[in-house]
Amino acid sequence: MAVYKKLEVKSTQLLEKIKDSLERLNEKIDVMIEIQKHGQRANPEIPDALDVMTLLSLPDHLRKTAVTLCKLGEATADNVAEQTKRARAVESGYLNQLVIMGYLKKERRGRKAYFYVEKEA
Amino acid sequence: MGKIIALHSYKGGTGKTLLSVNLAATYVKKGKNVCLLDLDFRAPSLHAVFKTNNSERWLNDYLNGVCEIDKVLVDVTQEHGRSGKFFVGLANPATEAIREMSAKDRKWEMRALGRLLSLKTSLLNDMHHDYVILDTSPGLQYSSINAIVSADVVLVVTSLDASDIKGTQRMTRELYDLFDKKTGILMNKVLPEILSSKKEKQKFYKHFNSVHKLPILEAIPCFCDVLRAGGTYIFSEEKTEHPFTKTLDKLATKIEEF
Ligand SMILES: Nc1ncnc2c1ncn2[C@@H]1O[C@H](COP(=O)(O)OP(=O)(O)OP(=O)(O)O)[C@@H](O)[C@H]1O
Ligand SMILES: [Mg+2]
Repeated sequence: MAVYKKLEVKSTQLLEKIKDSLERLNEKIDVMIEIQKHGQRANPEIPDALDVMTLLSLPDHLRKTAVTLCKLGEATADNVAEQTKRARAVESGYLNQLVIMGYLKKERRGRKAYFYVEKEA
Repeated sequence: MGKIIALHSYKGGTGKTLLSVNLAATYVKKGKNVCLLDLDFRAPSLHAVFKTNNSERWLNDYLNGVCEIDKVLVDVTQEHGRSGKFFVGLANPATEAIREMSAKDRKWEMRALGRLLSLKTSLLNDMHHDYVILDTSPGLQYSSINAIVSADVVLVVTSLDASDIKGTQRMTRELYDLFDKKTGILMNKVLPEILSSKKEKQKFYKHFNSVHKLPILEAIPCFCDVLRAGGTYIFSEEKTEHPFTKTLDKLATKIEEF
């Protein structure tokens, strides 16, 4: 019985690990797709401010994501998707593109990725 | 849950401040708790309307991150309350403060947007205001666009001036629409004869609905009595039976349902 229990725990852990890796992989693919679609390149030199004039200059689909994130302060792709009523994968792609463009920061905590506009010093 | 309403315009002098103040007073009269904020940092006005210097802090300080919003708000319920509570937040009218506010960089404006957005939680949820009314500077000012992004409803105050109409059309396409804002037009200082009959009035509304491609919430006539008052008192508070006051009552109800 005990052996059986141990096995069960092990396999659940393994499955979770696989799920995690898949999610990360998914995110990376999203970013690549976004970069391909919009031809935006990372510009690490100038970390940019997400002020309203910048918001105005963004393409519509990114603006919606960016404004939502400004409202939430800090959020996961799930949180943003809930507000915008778009698919999580879509928001994840947009959020990651905003990170690449230098407007957002991203931080992994445990299994989740959190996005935020630059924090006050 | 309450609402944040921003009054904005393309050109200056269209009546944003007059309408903000009187709309706020109208809601207070209806028993709502109202908070009126002066976000016109280039030409602050509300300190003159409320003749108060009671605040420890200005809205400038709140946006600078040196204090919380409760330190800024002045309770004017004693002098101006009818059935609801009435609070105002003032912009610092000192020349030095105006100069300082106009020299802020993009990073600062970004943080200011964050602070304005968080008013939704502090003023509506925690302090239970029913309406937060934002008076703004005309045109594409940082502080005004920040206000628009933070608002639930944007009221665009326009005149019949051709350049104002053109400018408002452009702002609708390039500003309000881009932020998906619930936006309504207030036609202000309309010549009374244009609104003389029901038929004329309908024609007027229909015409400007199609010109602005936005709902015309109200057409407010130009009243010499309002000009005569010269902003020395809150018009709708004192002249309760005046057509201007009646028009604002109607407008307040329309916005509640908007
Ligand atoms: N319907 C009206 N009838 C008569 N006078 C009006 C009316 N609306 C506004 N005014 C007058 O027009 C002048 C400008 O109004 P107000 O200061 O409210 O405009 P504003 O849009 O806030 O200006 P600014 O862009 O400079 O902030 C004031 O003297 C005000 O009393
Ligand atoms: Mg004004």
